[in-house]
Amino acid sequence: MRRTNVMRVVASVLAVGLAVSACGEPPPEEQDAGGEGGKEFVGCMVTDQGGPDDKSFNETSYKGLQDAEKDGAISEVKIAESNADSDYKPNVEEMVAGDCGMIVTVGFLLAEATQAAAEANPEEKFAIVDFLYTDPDTFEPVEIDNVKPLVFNTHEAAFLAGYLAAGQSETGKVATWGGLKIPTVTIFMDGFADGVAHYNKEKDKDVEVLGWDKKSQDGQFVGDFSNSNKAKQISDNLLSAGADIIMPVAGPIGEQAAVAAKDAGDASVIWVDTDGYESLTKYQDVILTSVEKGMDVAVQEATTAAAEDSFSNEPFVGTLENEGVSISPYHDFEDKVDDGLKQEVEDLKQQIIDGELKVESDAAF
Amino acid sequence: MTAPTVDTVVVEPETEQARVLARSWGPSVAFGVFGLVALVFFGILPPNGRETRFGLSTASDAFRFDPIGVPSKIAAIALAIVCLGIAVYAAVLTSRPRRVPLWLPITFGIAFVMSFLSWAVAGNTLSLPVVLKGTIALAVPYIFGALCGMLGERTGVINIAIDGQLLAGAFLSGVVASLASNLWIGLIAAPVAGVLVAWLLAVFSIKYVVNQIIVGVVLNVLVYGVTNFLYGRLLGPMKDTWNAPGKFAEYHVPLLSDIPVAGPVLFKQTVVVYLMYLAVVLVHIALFRTRWGLRVRAVGEHPEAADTAGIRVNVVRFRNVLLGGAVAGLGGAYFTLGSSGVFSKEMTAGAGFIALAAMIMGRWTPVGAVFAALLFGFADNLQSMLGIMRFGIPSELMQMAPYLLTIFAVAGLVGRIRPPASNGQPYIKS
Repeated sequence: MRRTNVMRVVASVLAVGLAVSACGEPPPEEQDAGGEGGKEFVGCMVTDQGGPDDKSFNETSYKGLQDAEKDGAISEVKIAESNADSDYKPNVEEMVAGDCGMIVTVGFLLAEATQAAAEANPEEKFAIVDFLYTDPDTFEPVEIDNVKPLVFNTHEAAFLAGYLAAGQSETGKVATWGGLKIPTVTIFMDGFADGVAHYNKEKDKDVEVLGWDKKSQDGQFVGDFSNSNKAKQISDNLLSAGADIIMPVAGPIGEQAAVAAKDAGDASVIWVDTDGYESLTKYQDVILTSVEKGMDVAVQEATTAAAEDSFSNEPFVGTLENEGVSISPYHDFEDKVDDGLKQEVEDLKQQIIDGELKVESDAAF
Repeated sequence: MTAPTVDTVVVEPETEQARVLARSWGPSVAFGVFGLVALVFFGILPPNGRETRFGLSTASDAFRFDPIGVPSKIAAIALAIVCLGIAVYAAVLTSRPRRVPLWLPITFGIAFVMSFLSWAVAGNTLSLPVVLKGTIALAVPYIFGALCGMLGERTGVINIAIDGQLLAGAFLSGVVASLASNLWIGLIAAPVAGVLVAWLLAVFSIKYVVNQIIVGVVLNVLVYGVTNFLYGRLLGPMKDTWNAPGKFAEYHVPLLSDIPVAGPVLFKQTVVVYLMYLAVVLVHIALFRTRWGLRVRAVGEHPEAADTAGIRVNVVRFRNVLLGGAVAGLGGAYFTLGSSGVFSKEMTAGAGFIALAAMIMGRWTPVGAVFAALLFGFADNLQSMLGIMRFGIPSELMQMAPYLLTIFAVAGLVGRIRPPASNGQPYIKS
């Protein structure tokens, strides 16, 4: 008799444990329709492990859906957060089973799950942020009829940031590090390194990039997007090796670069994905600028188009030209950055837009 | 792993003790192999004429020194010979037969690593204070976690939930410090979180005799789930209220922090690290020098005997698991209040599991676990520092280094590893 009670207690605790962990996040959030009189159209999103509060690309993509709702283009927003690699497939399938008009999956890591679901459900419409399907043999882009890729040539904006950093550095060393070595991370680092190299060529200087070697495609990586202790340590190591400007490309744990820069006192940070001045309010005084990726605009446009029955599977490629990527205002550094340097950055931007200057990356689209 | 063998062709008659101490040639063989690797690959093969410089101070230290330069090849060979000497000494000890003392693998490890560095850093400067300080920063959670695991396993309760306890401590200390705008209140909250998780572990594994490993795994998953959920609902959206604890400033211990090299490394730290020093010393003394420790070990080795002697086995176990939880919870505060100043999702990143390995590698002793944890921290930090110097090994491979090191170390260097005899077995009074 006692035994069965015990087993019941144990079983219930295990069940709670598994249940809580399995969701990790409550079932898809349902929000009231923002736009009145708009037609019924549910915009759905599956995030990767960063979650919708990562102050980075998940959050920005989610904002795109919310903006679409505010505009009245869609009537409802649903989101499923993934807490482990094993969540991707079930989360996408759950959305397919729901009444989603459009399913936006966020990130490279969801590519496989999205492709599988899209092929199994040709009627459903998908958009994937940060991923372009390619043929594994020829590396040529592959189109899937019901998936719209939303990708960004982030290296164009990172190039400007690298040039700026090189001009702004007093130690002659600038640094970058990443969370995982995946194309959407290294594209920032490639652009940054090229920007520094361009500065060196133009000014006949020798500013060094620590933490990333474009040629060998290797550098400093935490190994995940959650180990903040390691992230802090890498930032400290780069600072003590002489760098005074760091660009972390690691979603939420990138914040540790700002922590380290503030500890060091005379260093600054280039944030990525969003304007760090707005998302990292505690570290505004060390944020030189940010390399922004307009995922919100891309998601909003794609979703709105789908709601208006004008869905296309043609990839959206964000560039400096269409303002899909950009660098943020200097905010607190407005007075600290030389006017001449600001002008040079502006000129470079124009040259890239006009095609006079080619910026390249293996990870570009 | 080399199976323990009893040598039967010894001339002198074996003593009773010798028969009990089954001989293991593992350490001497491993020392020898690694010593030869060092000699050939770090010493003999690389080109001659390069210099390795070791920085001894940073700009903020009281005493500043110029970096010391040593000829890479000669230094690497000399250190490799030290390694081989240790291998021979270990072989002599084993043939006697006597136990290989703990300081031997530690000395070997240091000599081997220095030999490696003489080669890897050739032509560059490596700042020792920076490497070592980073080593400690990365090792702190491992040490707290290993102490937690040890307190449980010394009484026979396996604790797989260390990672969950660290994460719970990190979470609660961050949230409480943020809400109270006071770091010290947060620091007090940290052990409470660890104890709560430990209480669940103790209730299920001791009272209800559920498989300890299964309970531990489920508790980890539970803590990940709960913290992720609350992060998504509170800490993320309302960051300034819930998740802005800030962090402790470093406290420079007068005089001690002025000691060259070791001073800045050990005594320019935050309060969490000083608490860790204290915890290591206390656990060591308590386990091996007090009556309490004797009882704890008796319960872990032979619960029936302990019971017969009047020790309440399950009470001792229950208390120790809770105590371990408090230690791990406190260690969790290092993530938020000691290092990052902010809580992020699953920020322990598996530190609790590495702590478990450090505990095993340190043979269930606090001192051994500290060195094992430092070894992991060192390998991890070195990987980053060598990467910055463009040391030509791919970063993915370098990231494996700490884990490879664990496998080698556990397989050979530390010798025969014997857990407490009743580890993992529930005690049911018949």
